[in-house]
Amino acid sequence: MSERKKKEGKKVSRRDFIKKSAAGLAGAGLATLSMDSLFQWNPALAAEVKAPTFKLEKNPVVKVLRWSGFVKSDEQIWNANTKKWEKETGGKVVTEYLSWEDVRSKAAMEASVGAGHDIVLGWYDDPHLYPDKLLDVSDVATYLGKKYGGWYPVCEMYGKLYGTDKWIALPIGSAGICINYRVSWVKEAGYEKLPSDIEGFIKCCKKLKAKGHPTGFALGHAVGDGNTWTHWWLWSFGGKAVEKDGKTIAINSKETLQALDAAKELYETMIPGVASWLDPHNNKAFLSGQISVTSNGNSIFYASRKKFPEINKDLMTMNFPVGPVGHPAELSMISQAFIFKHTPVPNAAKHYLTFMFEKAQYGKWESETWGYITQTLKDYYNLPAWKKDPRITPYRDCVKRMLWNGYAGPLGPASAAAMSEYVIVDMFADVCVGGKSPKAAAAAAERKLKKFYR
Amino acid sequence: MPQKQREKFFRFYLPLFLFLVFLLFPFYWMFATTFKSDVELYNLKLNPFLIHTWSLANLKHLFFETRFLRWLYNTFFVAITSTVISLSASLLAAYGIQRIRFKGSNLMGIGIFFCYLVPPTILFIPLATMIFKLHLWDSLWALSLIYPTFLIPFCTWLLMGYFNSIPKELEECAMMDGASRMWIFWRVIIPLSLPGILSAGIFAFTLSWNEYLYALTFISSSLKKTVSVGLVTELVRGDVYHWGPLMAGALFGSVPVALVYSFFVEYYVAGITGALKE
Repeated sequence: MSERKKKEGKKVSRRDFIKKSAAGLAGAGLATLSMDSLFQWNPALAAEVKAPTFKLEKNPVVKVLRWSGFVKSDEQIWNANTKKWEKETGGKVVTEYLSWEDVRSKAAMEASVGAGHDIVLGWYDDPHLYPDKLLDVSDVATYLGKKYGGWYPVCEMYGKLYGTDKWIALPIGSAGICINYRVSWVKEAGYEKLPSDIEGFIKCCKKLKAKGHPTGFALGHAVGDGNTWTHWWLWSFGGKAVEKDGKTIAINSKETLQALDAAKELYETMIPGVASWLDPHNNKAFLSGQISVTSNGNSIFYASRKKFPEINKDLMTMNFPVGPVGHPAELSMISQAFIFKHTPVPNAAKHYLTFMFEKAQYGKWESETWGYITQTLKDYYNLPAWKKDPRITPYRDCVKRMLWNGYAGPLGPASAAAMSEYVIVDMFADVCVGGKSPKAAAAAAERKLKKFYR
Repeated sequence: MPQKQREKFFRFYLPLFLFLVFLLFPFYWMFATTFKSDVELYNLKLNPFLIHTWSLANLKHLFFETRFLRWLYNTFFVAITSTVISLSASLLAAYGIQRIRFKGSNLMGIGIFFCYLVPPTILFIPLATMIFKLHLWDSLWALSLIYPTFLIPFCTWLLMGYFNSIPKELEECAMMDGASRMWIFWRVIIPLSLPGILSAGIFAFTLSWNEYLYALTFISSSLKKTVSVGLVTELVRGDVYHWGPLMAGALFGSVPVALVYSFFVEYYVAGITGALKE
């Protein structure tokens, strides 16, 4: 096959992906399912996949910048896996752990200066802010995809340079977000479990509030919790910030207005003070028994296991309810590993990342973090770790059910700016807490988005 | 209570008491949180202002499970070195601008002050380039050399004001006795400016102690972190805040600054108000 034909072959696959993603406007859930079938994992085939060979530099020292482990075991297993790599290769890895909100600014500075760490585990759109500074990792991504059943479609969106087949980052995992609730209180409200549709969900929350068990969702500038639940809510009603072209602002729509009206209803079931909530507040409110329902990663489950056993016994988790669009449309935080071009050890960096993604390492990492890291490669869906406790099982579906930040537009500086300026969160807060009408709030969000998407 | 005493109570002691409560409450909150267990912290039925069951678990976490003592040492090192560097440069700059009165000295004084107004968020990228080129990345000396970029303008400006309050006649007398500029600077100006130097030093020390952005940007390894960065990066894990150890760290991290202020409070006040009048 000629090079051109080969490229065309690849293009068809990409078009197929984009087509499926576009179909997500009408039925992302279905699109996701059909994408699954494209990447059916075959263990026999996987065993045959040959790993790319990277000739390691002499005595390589790989400097890694990553976020502090949300749960203690994350760093322990990551470090143990790293030591294993050091032992096998004779290389050395220096890992810097930073609070997750600070990784972004430090990585951006290093990209700008052209020096610093070799590998960064960043968030969301980070690699799309400075794609020209990043090493092409298509070889690693292709190998991993072939070996482990393929990447989820949303991961291809995050990992590839928009409109190309070039991988600039490897989505390493998602800090998945699910609904956390108190079983006994939901039963007290007359339900066996929380409804899985938004309409029923609101009704149940109202009953919970009437029984003296308010809910709590962050409406402050909570990087994780605030952004994830408001995007889910917006998308579930069919609203979106921008069209696929990345230019046409689509926020001021009837779907958004419906979402805002419904959010106002939900807000009436919430505990006072959510407008100032940051990421830790819902954890504290849930663990202290103030709220019955919230959205969170598995940190509530993890923290309650030892310190709050009574809460733990009464805790249940589920995926975000589905809204009027009829299919899951969620946002979870996703972390991506990327390698800077300024690295003096590109081969060692690629080798290290490949090693960390292999089942022996990745499986252990996922297992010991009790579901904090949701897999990005489909094969890992069936890891035994997900069956350790029914409360962590829903987290394995987070990546499968999620859309990307800035949906339905491309990832890039505009989507990153819209998120860092909390345009969507503020729009919801304006309606729920600020007393603005949905129309005025949507118009204000539209004005802000126009600044970013030019 | 006699009328005079009552008046004094309402005009002096009561406002003073309220002011003290306002001022010391954050410290009390840090203290109380330090000695509470997690279960007590999350139990909202208990009075949050009281400690019901004393616990040393947070101190154990802070001192034995993090590198807090090392961070304290690092912070001391950076604060002291950057203060010394800044004061040395600022004394010479302020004296030159204020006393030698060369052409453009006023403009230079204003220019130096404007340097102080440039936010670090704008400066940290060009500074990062310099730090990388000097091979000072992940070194405490990076901070010791970077902090003077905002300390020198501030200290110079403060000392210029103080030098202005020292009568010129003192220098003129010394000159008539045959003293050189440097001799006058060293033997006349420095001793007379001690309150001003101390107050500039205290400011410089405090600003260095609390600095966050540069310390976050230029330091990578845990062993070289300062208190402000170490606490946040290692005790805040995603949406899980280890409040107990965090408050313990904040409490012990603020003690050195409080001690510095309490030892030099008289000089500090004199330095701010200007001790010498013609």
